[in-house]
Amino acid sequence: MSLLDFSSDVFIVAFFLYSGAFMLYTIAIMGRRWSGRKPEEHTARFGKIAFIASSLGLICHFAYFITRWMGSGHIPVSNMYEFMTFLSMMIMVAFTVIFAIYRKIILGVFAVPVSIIVMAYAAVFPQEVQPLIPSLKSIYLNIHVTLAALGESFFAVGFAAGLMYLLRTVNFDSTARSDRKQQRLVEFTLFSIIVIIGFLGSVFAFRGAGYESVFVRSDVTIDSAGQGDSTIEKVSYKMPPIVAPYQSETEHFQPFLGIKEPLFEAPSWMNGVNAGRKFNTVIWSLLSGLILYGILRLIIRKPLGKAIHPVLDGIDENDLDEITYRAIAIGFPIFTLGALIFAMIWAQIAWGRFWGWDPKEVWALVTWLFYSAYLHLRLARGWQGRRSAWLAVLGFLVVMFTLVGVNLVIAGLHSYAGTD
Amino acid sequence: MTSKEPLVSNTKCECGHQNPVGTVLCEACGKPLDEKELGAEGNLEMRYDGVARRSQRVNPGLIDRVWNFFSSVKIAIYLIVLTLLGSMLGTIFPQESTFLNIDASTYYKETYGRAGNIYYKLGLSHTYESWWFVTLLVMIGASLVICSLDRVLPLYKALTRQKVRKHRQFLTRQKAVLVTPLTAEPEAWVAGLIEPLKKKGYRVKIDGSALLAEKHRFSRWGPYVIHIGLIIFLLAVLARGLPGLNMDQHLAFQQGEATRIPDTTYYLKNEQFTVEFYSDEEMPEEFRGKKVLPKLYETKAVLYECTADCTDPSREPQLSEVTSHDIRVNSPLSYKGLKAYQFDYDLTPVLRSVQPVLVNTATGEGYSKFRLDMKNPERTFQSGPYTLSLKEKYMDFGLNDEGQPASKSPYPNAPAFLFLITGPGLPEEGQQYFYFPKQLDKEQFQQQAINDRLGGSGRFLELEVQDMSDVDFAASTSYLNIRIDRAMPFVWVGAGIVMLGLILGFYWQHRRIWLRVEDGELVLGGHTNKNWFGFRREIVAILQKVDLIVDEKSLDNGGGLA
Repeated sequence: MSLLDFSSDVFIVAFFLYSGAFMLYTIAIMGRRWSGRKPEEHTARFGKIAFIASSLGLICHFAYFITRWMGSGHIPVSNMYEFMTFLSMMIMVAFTVIFAIYRKIILGVFAVPVSIIVMAYAAVFPQEVQPLIPSLKSIYLNIHVTLAALGESFFAVGFAAGLMYLLRTVNFDSTARSDRKQQRLVEFTLFSIIVIIGFLGSVFAFRGAGYESVFVRSDVTIDSAGQGDSTIEKVSYKMPPIVAPYQSETEHFQPFLGIKEPLFEAPSWMNGVNAGRKFNTVIWSLLSGLILYGILRLIIRKPLGKAIHPVLDGIDENDLDEITYRAIAIGFPIFTLGALIFAMIWAQIAWGRFWGWDPKEVWALVTWLFYSAYLHLRLARGWQGRRSAWLAVLGFLVVMFTLVGVNLVIAGLHSYAGTD
Repeated sequence: MTSKEPLVSNTKCECGHQNPVGTVLCEACGKPLDEKELGAEGNLEMRYDGVARRSQRVNPGLIDRVWNFFSSVKIAIYLIVLTLLGSMLGTIFPQESTFLNIDASTYYKETYGRAGNIYYKLGLSHTYESWWFVTLLVMIGASLVICSLDRVLPLYKALTRQKVRKHRQFLTRQKAVLVTPLTAEPEAWVAGLIEPLKKKGYRVKIDGSALLAEKHRFSRWGPYVIHIGLIIFLLAVLARGLPGLNMDQHLAFQQGEATRIPDTTYYLKNEQFTVEFYSDEEMPEEFRGKKVLPKLYETKAVLYECTADCTDPSREPQLSEVTSHDIRVNSPLSYKGLKAYQFDYDLTPVLRSVQPVLVNTATGEGYSKFRLDMKNPERTFQSGPYTLSLKEKYMDFGLNDEGQPASKSPYPNAPAFLFLITGPGLPEEGQQYFYFPKQLDKEQFQQQAINDRLGGSGRFLELEVQDMSDVDFAASTSYLNIRIDRAMPFVWVGAGIVMLGLILGFYWQHRRIWLRVEDGELVLGGHTNKNWFGFRREIVAILQKVDLIVDEKSLDNGGGLA
């Protein structure tokens, strides 16, 4: 067995260990009412097992990382698959650090699944080891990317703790207007997470079924010399096309549930065939997210926030507020160093300018400004607790947009971290 | 004194200390001065230890008002948020600066339709150079300076002259509080705490039965260090705009030729340019035959400095080698602040010189060879009995708007030469002759027809290259980005100071414990700027050493919520 094979095997082991650890953390918290033991004893006992499981998962994850590094000859953070697997590993590192400080078993119930989702998202991307292009051949690939990911991982733990704070403190029984608003916002946040799970579910389901349809679009552009230049773009859909690319021809259509042609065409402002494909993916994600959410609601018969709320009973909300703040306070200097300072140093060496307002750079700055505003707001009265928790949740959205959204929506110099 | 805020008009504390206007907590004993605060319950506002700041002066003048505006954290947050939103707007469509040659007034409309046109009209296609964005950055700079100055000096004063014995209310309204009966002899009990506190790294001061323990005060300066770093950084960025500090040009370097770098005394020679691609064996199976991945771009470069005859066009400049480097992406050539970065390349061979001969088409007789350089040709040539003097030279031949011959670019894409030939059998004033060294150009621009028109029907001379060895090509061209950026060291110093401040401010916490034992009661108050959780745990551990067992949670005075 080659190193790379071992690497991907041990990665899968890590995935299952995390999933198991997540369940154990959940049992540690949920089971305290109906286990025969004293609640504290039960939580401590299962919490310990859960922590062992998640730590074993982290060891396997490290083994994946090291063996892939050895097998490929360069640090595995050079494309989207490798970066996302690394990010999920760093989220577990950040979780372990925060857990070691605060010893809150319940953190595992919320932080571990964030890592699992990121890990699953990694698997959406092609997993082959690619050789490095010249611009990535630098020691700063090792430093910039890893530190940025570590900083962002603390923000991810801050997000988990912020969400916990909200689930703990929002009054889910009240019908007062302000409380209703909070309930709806929490529900929307949870729904968004379910849409992401829906996206992952549909990607893997259709991939497992080997689904493919192909569209072709020919484009004629006239260059400055007046010569027509015709390009043919081809796009392969891995999910049944609900929406076809703007002005495209069907080359091959695999019927799905009796649908034999796309239901409609993407609007004209969605330029290029890939825009149509991405739009189709968004529709599928929303669709499967809605179905998943509907099923969950049918089973538990109340809003998800209200259903999760009792899990956090008895947890000190001030501790949650502090964990949120602390995670962000630990992550902020690391993020600054990795995502801005080393990014500038590398940009200076590779491109001759330390800052060029490339979309990725701008969004790293936006993230930094966002958390700077958060840290300054913590000084103001009335911004601890609820508002601060919302900012922590929103901040992670900014982080994820910087990491994923920029690549999907805006192309720039970081295009080699291609998203497909 | 007439004050707009009567609440703070009486600034003399009961302990006898005279406080400046704006003081929240007495500088000496910590008693709340604000009467609203005095009557209130709950935690004290401990920002800047409750000292007055410059921005809290009464009767502010114009300068004070400007000062007050920029000293507000609220304004700073607004500025941060506005900058954040402005930056986001700039990423909706690509900025103008990402394109080398576009006409922005039409490009955005054509590419992105109406939305693109609005984007351009709003000036968002150059967001980061726009007056409002630069103004925001300058305002952030002002806010950084003024916010810091407004706070750091009073805070420094407050922390350097702390009194040990504080007002009871100052203690009981901290976020970590312990009030418990204590029967032990006060002074001896307090003295017993010194050792355990010192073991935890505290510096301890005692005033009878009162105690102040403090550690990691330096962490309080973290935010100000960050701000100083950011100011240096922003100033360095501004300084890059000053003339002479910054140079940025993209130049073409043909293989094998030392090319002058404009505005400097340097010449750079591209000895060899290499581009390599990954072979199929090095690629994952999925990519083989589908993708081409570059492996290496490298320019073997030698940098020369001109030592003499630099400006005299009639003489060869005297060059002496100063350094050499294999320039790659991520590995620029660097010499005394001048840097050369691999930017682009062109593998199209470029004609450097030809050695044609003049041929008499009537007799078939060929005369002697001469060397014609594309870039810096001599003015006259001799071929047999004939003299050729160069009248015009076009590097990239074409016709301009008036239909006159002109050079479209300075690159030798389509070189052309106009000679005046004199010699036997030719008119007195000589005969004009157009010469295109490249075969392709000869046909495209119809050299034959042009010359027939210039020389008439009796024309009998042609310039011809007789052997391929008489043609000299540069195999490839490497495009380098040449930069000088004298402000960079300051950018890095600024960034380094920011980082230092971040580490000081975020990874240590300023912790203080005050306590007083009076009337059979211990009153303890603790303050830290973050991580209350760890702080409470530490207090519990310290008290345990003197056999006082306290529950961590019971210390929490966080607004009565716990």
